[in-house]
Amino acid sequence: MGRYVVRRLLQMIPVFIGATLLIFLMVNVMGDPIAGLCGERQCDPATAARLEQEFGLDKPVWQQYATYMGNVFTGDFGTAFNGQEVTELMSTAFPVTIRLTLIAILFEIVIGVTLGVVTGLRRGRPVDTGVLLLTLVVISVPTFVTGLLLQLLLGVKWGWIRPSVSSEAPFDELILPGLVLASVSLAYVTRLTRTSIAENRRSDYVRTAIAKGLPRHRVVVRHLLRNSLIPVITFIGADIGFLMGGAIVTERIFNIHGVGYQLYQGILRQNTQTVVGFVTVLVLVFLVANLIVDLLYAVLDPRIRYA
Amino acid sequence: MLLEVRDLHVEFHTRDGVARAVNGVSYGVDAGETLAVLGESGSGKSVTAQAIMGILDIPPGRITGGEVVFQGRDLLKLREDERRRIRGAEMAMIFQDALSSLNPVLTVGDQLGEMFTVHRGMSRKEARARAIELMDRVRIPAARERVRQYPHQFSGGMRQRIMIAMALALEPALIIADEPTTALDVTVQAQVMELLAELQREYHMGLILITHDLGVVADVADRIAVMYAGRIVESAPVHDIYKAPAHPYTRGLLDSIPRLDQKGQELYAIRGLPPNLMNIPPGCAFHPRCPLARDVCRSDEPPLYEVSPTRGSACHFWRECLDE
Amino acid sequence: MPDGRHEPEQAIAGTGMGGTMDLGVDEAETLEKRPGPDGTGPGDRPRSLWSDAWRDLRRDPVFIVSALVILFLVLISLWPSAITSGSPLTCDLSKAQQGSQSGHPFGFDGQGCDVYTRTVYGARTSVAVGVLATLGVSVLGSVLGALAGYFGGVWDSVLSRITDVFFAIPVVLGGLVLLSVITSNTIWPVIGFIVLLGWPQLSRIARGSVITAKQNDYVQAARALGASHSRLVLRHIAPNAVAPVIVVATIALGTYISLEATLSYLGVGLKPPSVSWGIDISAASPYIRNAPHALLWPSGALALTVLAFIMLGDAVRDALDPKLR
Repeated sequence: MGRYVVRRLLQMIPVFIGATLLIFLMVNVMGDPIAGLCGERQCDPATAARLEQEFGLDKPVWQQYATYMGNVFTGDFGTAFNGQEVTELMSTAFPVTIRLTLIAILFEIVIGVTLGVVTGLRRGRPVDTGVLLLTLVVISVPTFVTGLLLQLLLGVKWGWIRPSVSSEAPFDELILPGLVLASVSLAYVTRLTRTSIAENRRSDYVRTAIAKGLPRHRVVVRHLLRNSLIPVITFIGADIGFLMGGAIVTERIFNIHGVGYQLYQGILRQNTQTVVGFVTVLVLVFLVANLIVDLLYAVLDPRIRYA
Repeated sequence: MLLEVRDLHVEFHTRDGVARAVNGVSYGVDAGETLAVLGESGSGKSVTAQAIMGILDIPPGRITGGEVVFQGRDLLKLREDERRRIRGAEMAMIFQDALSSLNPVLTVGDQLGEMFTVHRGMSRKEARARAIELMDRVRIPAARERVRQYPHQFSGGMRQRIMIAMALALEPALIIADEPTTALDVTVQAQVMELLAELQREYHMGLILITHDLGVVADVADRIAVMYAGRIVESAPVHDIYKAPAHPYTRGLLDSIPRLDQKGQELYAIRGLPPNLMNIPPGCAFHPRCPLARDVCRSDEPPLYEVSPTRGSACHFWRECLDE
Repeated sequence: MPDGRHEPEQAIAGTGMGGTMDLGVDEAETLEKRPGPDGTGPGDRPRSLWSDAWRDLRRDPVFIVSALVILFLVLISLWPSAITSGSPLTCDLSKAQQGSQSGHPFGFDGQGCDVYTRTVYGARTSVAVGVLATLGVSVLGSVLGALAGYFGGVWDSVLSRITDVFFAIPVVLGGLVLLSVITSNTIWPVIGFIVLLGWPQLSRIARGSVITAKQNDYVQAARALGASHSRLVLRHIAPNAVAPVIVVATIALGTYISLEATLSYLGVGLKPPSVSWGIDISAASPYIRNAPHALLWPSGALALTVLAFIMLGDAVRDALDPKLR
């Protein structure tokens, strides 16, 4: 187990370097890194040259990347467009997005798994067909449309919630955005659970459990669920990274000042430091979430643990 | 009789039509007796067993007629919770593939102990102790340590022993073993079969042994029931059948066993394919493949003729077959 | 799937390694392998996977409905003028935000453009982006994936690491970064971006199915008999590996349409004067209180289009994967 963790950690390194380098190159090649530094106006040539030297922009890209990563590992993510430290932006933005993601994950677990179990056990019945169709619709409607429509209905028409979230973004205001963020994943979790349950329900060991004379709820909970939820849990784990990265759209619709908002601002103002900094952290979150998923997989499935 | 199946009918409703898997099967087992049920795959032998156990998948399966009388009660008339209490406790089943039939994410100790906690209300600690006893009983070495292991950590033979232990846990009156040794190495097959036969004698249980392996049958069975297309085509004490089969299908099965004294001769094979259960031939279902078939076989379904008080054959020409 | 998530494989490609389905109901098992009730005897040619799938699809209402919707979409993207008379770019500010009226069933948007005309013309962009991006992704992804799967070894590891890198980058984020500086208002940058970030998903599927197909006994036999690489791949492996790729590509087509709309909504995909549902939805969202129709029509069209492709892929998958019936 220990060696497995070490191996997975080592495998993360090239992926981390590759992904951050890719983003670094994209930002540097495509945009002008100092364009945003002189406020809204164009920098004059002298200032531009001074700034380029200050940020080491006259050096080759790989050297810039190395310097940047070196700084990152000492906790220096650079400065944002308004002179604020990027780390400062992060300390206000990440808690908001983490809250949002947490709510989304909760929705996935509670609603997604429940619907999946219910439909998986009743394959082909009207409930199953209905839920299956609903999941297809949810997957098909882009998140931003779902978000806008729910905002229109619940926020504007019926006035159940505030259409936009205040800057503190407390838990209760994030419930609807969390549901919107979760919507597509929720549908996938439902379908994945359903498939998994339906497949395992016909498995030999479930038949054995029935032949042992176990009560139905025990067959379902102890034998069927335990096995069927392994792929679901790994999906939800991997989803953490995707949700945080995909929160841009949701945060824009509900005007939530989280990671997506800061990134969007950074991109609009072509602020390299903000964009690269936030993306680096997001990539790290994604990789760590995947590592945890792999370890979880080993914990849940003894066949992997002892392999 | 410990168990008596009477005129059992089972159908499967599939997308392509109705498959008549079991069409009027009757057989019985006494306490301490071993009944071998023989037949190709698709003959209905496993489905009959599942109907007895009450583990048929319904739908697509459906029991359309018959009785399963066990210890004087018709199981098919019981409520599901009453049947559940009988399953595992009064009658138990051993499956072919122990690896897939055991839950991969629970230790064997948990899976064995579950019998005691659920049916007998024992504490987890007591159940664990009984699980170790059971593993000793089926001669798994180092049971005390291995009780904490998972199914995939055992060899094929050891896993099947665990399945046997699980079936024996509550000392049921009847055990149904569905091809218990088919998935095992030949050398291990004999050991597992021996263990099963020994335990059956010791606990004086009825045993229904479902198999297509005639070699296994000769050693352990008291009676044989041969199934074809969801019917019993021959039913007889084991020695009678080996001496002279009274049904051409049984004869075909026996002739297709390779024998050392016939080395060099061409091995016999029953011609044709087993019938399509959605479209079973009229008359005797075996007639398209039968060397003795005449017109009457194509039109009239043979009843189970009484060959002797202990023997029946569903062939219009059983005398001819017997004489050959 | 605007979050650009790769779907859980079990739910999507049916690559399942699921437990044994056989309930010991050996009857039901044997039935499948035997000739059907239509009287086809054992001597007849066995039904192939594809003809079997086609037989099922023709009877599947989900398939028929989604195929008709897609056919309709393709037709109106080729000839939008067949069902509209106006131009999507002629707008009359005085009519801004007005509701449905004669000749303008969907009303007008915030700029006074006819919502019906714009919705019809929007189909062209979506279908073009979806089809072209899927073609690019499928070709690039399946070639790279198949090569890695077939030759294995170093190429396989390198490709696996590269796909890992791409998966680690959130798609919408990548789109924002890459596309924010591009001023072109053609559909090509968006297509290029989708191909760039989309191929790893397809390459994984292709790699997996090639590896599975490669292990088939008849492929091993053909190899032992000295068949060349190209013959092995084209004649023996590709026909068996192509089904999951087609299924995933069909579903991906829907998600690419959704992705284009999302990027356009965020202002980095297509830009006016291009006509795109994403642009229109974005433009309509500030007027959501007064003119919700300007938001609802393009949203509905977008959702229906994506739904049609996803359902089509779903139906094809079910038909090709009899295991999950």
